[in-house]
Amino acid sequence: MKFDWLVRRLLGVALGGLFFYAGLLKCLHPYEFAEAVLAYRMLPESLVGVAAAVLPWVEMAAGLALAIGLKRRSALLLLTTLLGGFLAVILITMGRGLKIDCGCGLFFQRQVGPVAVLEDAVFLLWAAGLYGWELLGSKRGRQVQVIEASP
Amino acid sequence: MRRLWRQDLAWAGLILGLAALFGLVQQWPLVRQSWRGELAALLSQARDQRRQEQFQGVKTVNLAQAYALFQQGRALFIDARPADEYVELHVPKALNITPEMLAAGQDEAVAGLAKDREIVVYCGQVSCDLALQVAEKLQVRGFTRVMAYMGGFRAWDEAGYPADTSK
Repeated sequence: MKFDWLVRRLLGVALGGLFFYAGLLKCLHPYEFAEAVLAYRMLPESLVGVAAAVLPWVEMAAGLALAIGLKRRSALLLLTTLLGGFLAVILITMGRGLKIDCGCGLFFQRQVGPVAVLEDAVFLLWAAGLYGWELLGSKRGRQVQVIEASP
Repeated sequence: MRRLWRQDLAWAGLILGLAALFGLVQQWPLVRQSWRGELAALLSQARDQRRQEQFQGVKTVNLAQAYALFQQGRALFIDARPADEYVELHVPKALNITPEMLAAGQDEAVAGLAKDREIVVYCGQVSCDLALQVAEKLQVRGFTRVMAYMGGFRAWDEAGYPADTSK
């Protein structure tokens, strides 16, 4: 039980840390991120600023919450939704034949393409899997509490 | 289980709302100018400023100047985009040299080129930095007449200037 909890926490800290770092990079370079969002040609220009302002903070907030263990499941739910959205956007962009920088942040620049899809899919599975695991863990924990509390 | 899920969703909504609020407040100038339809001008200004600091000393040319150099036939064109984009379509007789091919200690890509050869480097579009990166690396290697064409291949192609798929 303890080992199970430790693995979940470690996976959460790693994923949360990565998202916090990716969000921070975008937050520190807002105009470059806005340029990346604009290049996808999916939003009207009037909304690109909103997306470029909000997305990095969502990544940072969810990443930080997950890493420090505050409302972990909610943070995972948010990251799963975000990653699902990113994956859909990348696939649509590939389908439209646009060759643009993916603006994904982290350690190196990469274009929209199979590598970005694979990376996103891995993170999506990681976040969704961990959410399911956390949910089962919480349910099991509550059952144990109920059994211990009963006379 | 359903109750847990509902709780998670509610907290996720709260985190999302707070993050959105912080983001909008922190980047308010960007949000406001984008809303007013001034984003392109703002990004162009920010890009120029960053490039001036990052690529000091790299000479640049616009579309008309690049085309004039192409017509004169003396300048060597270098395509700094990834190989798959170069193969698709490029300026006739352009060489494909990416920044990675000019990484520290690697000179094979430019071996045999005269250092005083007129060179025009380009990449995909106005927002990409690959042309500036390659031009800077060439200058570091002692090439004296290097220029970065800033409009990118997209503007070249849209203007109807020559392009081909051969190497």
